[in-house]
Amino acid sequence: MSLVRSIFQNLIRERGVEGFYISTIVGVDLKDKGVIRLDYFTVLLPEEETIVFRTTIPRENPVIDSIIDIVPGAYSAELEIHDLLGVIFKGNEFLKRGFFVPRDIVESGVYPLRRG
Amino acid sequence: MVDKVIEIPVSVEIPVGPQHPALHEPVLLKAYADGEVVVKVEVNTGYNHRGIEKLLELNSFYKDIFIVGRVCGICNTVHTNVYVRALEQILGVEPCRRARYLRVLAMELERIHSHMLINAVMAEVIGFDTLFMNIMLDREKVMKAKEILTGGRVMADYMMVGGVRRDLSDGDAERLARIISSLRERLEYYKKVFEEDITIGKRLVNIGVLKRRDAVSHSLLGPVARGSGVRIDARVSDRYDAYDELKPEVVVRDEGDSWARMMVRWDEALISAELSLRVLQSLPRDCNPVPDEKRLPRKLPAGEAYTRVEAPRGELTYFVMSDGGVNPYRVKIRTPSFTNIINSAFLYEGYTIADLPVILASLDPCISCMERALVTDLKTGSRKVIPFTELSRGGGEWGGRGYYLQ
Repeated sequence: MSLVRSIFQNLIRERGVEGFYISTIVGVDLKDKGVIRLDYFTVLLPEEETIVFRTTIPRENPVIDSIIDIVPGAYSAELEIHDLLGVIFKGNEFLKRGFFVPRDIVESGVYPLRRG
Repeated sequence: MVDKVIEIPVSVEIPVGPQHPALHEPVLLKAYADGEVVVKVEVNTGYNHRGIEKLLELNSFYKDIFIVGRVCGICNTVHTNVYVRALEQILGVEPCRRARYLRVLAMELERIHSHMLINAVMAEVIGFDTLFMNIMLDREKVMKAKEILTGGRVMADYMMVGGVRRDLSDGDAERLARIISSLRERLEYYKKVFEEDITIGKRLVNIGVLKRRDAVSHSLLGPVARGSGVRIDARVSDRYDAYDELKPEVVVRDEGDSWARMMVRWDEALISAELSLRVLQSLPRDCNPVPDEKRLPRKLPAGEAYTRVEAPRGELTYFVMSDGGVNPYRVKIRTPSFTNIINSAFLYEGYTIADLPVILASLDPCISCMERALVTDLKTGSRKVIPFTELSRGGGEWGGRGYYLQ
């Protein structure tokens, strides 16, 4: 099993489903390093402390396992990052272009937040 | 010989939305109904994506303060506050106490008018138009107060790096205290109306029940989560600005239905009024809260900041990344409606079409885009555009809850 999935599965085992929520996933295109960095900002409950899981994936082949079956709260963030940065979340069947960006951008195959 | 019968329910596809051009968060709810009961809802977005994150990358850090204020009209103060605090973290700047108190005052006034707005919209959605008018009339008091404080009735542009854009005179502070005191009485009255009115109770109680477990696992935030027993409030956990000294009370209810979410908002509005009066009584005089902008560096040092604020709709987060240049390398905004609306499609299932607007309004989605609905009857193929309020009112050709307005 991939690391990102096992991290969240361990988190559920340790703290329970009500022990944390995923606040946001931040994707940054680091062109110079040839990677896309993904930060999973997670808030632990009840102390409401934010922790971050950081990972990088290659820019040429931006694929990472989806976690929406484990943490449904990641749904909106995964869809957004796919649409704006072109990251493929393996296992997320709801991924589609045009979730946010208009049709002409989709047709031109541009990912707006990729660095030129 | 037939040995199996498969029943296919006659379903009606009801696209709700997507937009009214005046709205900043147009969204389409595609609801599938079996008779009166909603069986599935798809949330479609992207009707008005303005590419603000990209725009922020193309403008300087300081111009961006005015751009982020335009992400949302209703809660522009919290957007600028959370962005400015991210810049302050990167720069290592700390505003003085008076500035931090004034920031809290602006944000609490904003919370009051936002909560009044959505409660008024809820009254309108269930057909209680008089109550809508009354709440909106009293909401003008907050708008006036916000104008006295910031200079703008809606768009405040009040925050700046290291402080606020204008100071508050003693005379104006007294005026504000008078306005807020008179407003507090009205808030208490409206809270009582929502508690005791039979019609409101019939339409909201036990509608759109959200379990605590679902609220957490789907990352639902703000009054939506607090109405389901989740004790989260960035004001208390992050203690930003003057909240470390003011210590606001967190309102939590356990019912989890639409009514609980609206009641959380009334209680929070009352607490915000209390907090605003406390700020005005104990406003520190340690400095001039308006910093000299010319002293700020044009380029920011390389670094990253992640800040949270408790917006009226819940936790709002900003991630700002600087590579040492004039413009930010990346700004990521996550608004509370982003998760509250997109992740909550499961909440409508099992309720009737007439409940759909009620549940949606209880999530505080900036509702004005939802004023019309297109109803398609798959059996006859007929399509008809009807006003959204008619859908919620029930009765007539398009069904609804029979006991309402009878």
